[in-house]
Amino acid sequence: MASGKTSKAARRNTPAPLKKNSFPWGTVTAVVVLVAMIAVIGTYVAVRSNEQQARAEALAPFTPTAQNPDPSRAIPGIVIKEYPGGSHVGPDEQVAYTESPPFGGTHDQVWAACNGVVYDTPVRSENLVHSLEHGAVWIAYHPDRVSGEALETLKSKVTVPYTVMSPYPDLDRPISLQSWGHQLKLDDANDPRIDQFIAALRLNPNTHPEPNASCQETTLFDQHNPPPYQPAPTPGTPGARAEDESVDPSRPMQTG
Amino acid sequence: MTTTEPGTAEEPGRAGPSRTQRLVMGGAVLLTVLLVGVIIGMLVRLPGQPPAPPAYDSVDVGFAQDMSIHHTQAVQMAAWERDHTTDPVLRLLATDIEDTQHGQVGRMLGWLELWGAPTMPLSGRYMTWMADAPGHDHREPGSSEPGVTQMPGMATAEELRRLRESTGPEMDVLWLQLMLRHHEGGAPMLAYAADHAQTPQVRNLAAQMLAAQTAESEYLRELLAQRGGTPLPL
Repeated sequence: MASGKTSKAARRNTPAPLKKNSFPWGTVTAVVVLVAMIAVIGTYVAVRSNEQQARAEALAPFTPTAQNPDPSRAIPGIVIKEYPGGSHVGPDEQVAYTESPPFGGTHDQVWAACNGVVYDTPVRSENLVHSLEHGAVWIAYHPDRVSGEALETLKSKVTVPYTVMSPYPDLDRPISLQSWGHQLKLDDANDPRIDQFIAALRLNPNTHPEPNASCQETTLFDQHNPPPYQPAPTPGTPGARAEDESVDPSRPMQTG
Repeated sequence: MTTTEPGTAEEPGRAGPSRTQRLVMGGAVLLTVLLVGVIIGMLVRLPGQPPAPPAYDSVDVGFAQDMSIHHTQAVQMAAWERDHTTDPVLRLLATDIEDTQHGQVGRMLGWLELWGAPTMPLSGRYMTWMADAPGHDHREPGSSEPGVTQMPGMATAEELRRLRESTGPEMDVLWLQLMLRHHEGGAPMLAYAADHAQTPQVRNLAAQMLAAQTAESEYLRELLAQRGGTPLPL
């Protein structure tokens, strides 16, 4: 085999190196073109996804999207708990909330007016928890530890619907933000995490049980004379309703 | 050994390429055609493909955010009148305004969700999306920042308190005054969005709101005059 070939090459009188040199050029060109095209596609895809990511990151990292349904998870200090929605109590009942301020669970049938309402007096938690179920953010503050400029700063956040603010005398920190299933306690009214919390959770359709539910005042809740705050009874207190009552259709209704 | 290898491909002894070479060439041509197709596909947007969602600073997003807030107050005032008036004409009108505008808020919030945009402006300033329009520079006197802190036609907290504290014909007149001013104050925002939004559905809804509210404003004026009231200045 090898000998036959050598003889053929010799017979043709053509220098073998020339043929050897001419052969790879087509292949080399083809390979170069292919590699270039793959590089163009790769670069395009990489640049495009980078641009999209940069845009999302720069403009609103705390805006809920399909890819990032609960951006509040990135806020340092956030507490997240799962609560079922819908379980109600009457105006004379109390819920044995285990969180203070509460941020989910059984609540009053009537929600507290929450279309940008600043309450000057402490308001019944059972009503405010219902407002959280409708997508509102509740800013609670300790009345002795937040005043003056800090209080005005907090009030300035409550100019838009689905935001509500009230003093909470039993607060263990100056400020506490509540959204359904979410809480963030803070010391400083200028903390940037306040805006992050509001951006991530106010009306976030992925985190509250009743999208498009109302925040307006009703005939059953007087915005200018709201039912007053009472400390939550300890769980197990006779007559107190449990925080985690689920809506069980097989069980008879307990409320009158 | 190595010197004999290039020759192996030429074994058929013909001037044309070998079977292996043709296979390689054919594969390369096929691959090239495929890659050219991919590149064309990247550059050309198919007609059926949905357009990119409006940017956060677009008219569409700004309008949907601000008008949701504007509408929410109208819903709030209408619900109060529906619950408290004894006038059947006003109760029907209030119910109509409440239902209509509540549904429209739902549409606008749904769009914002689909666009991955914030539901409400965080800056506390409204109408920034109208800033570049001639004659529509809604800068407040003495402020260098674009936009306003209070949209035209919005009732103040004090006015809402007066509405809640009044009763009977006094409440009816105040409600008609506040609702008329609310409709008129929203009109420039509706007109701007009807002309400048990039999404056809947004332009359409804004134009429909404008037409309906303009007609309703006339009706509110009539009802107000019948009850001895005069319109509030904007």
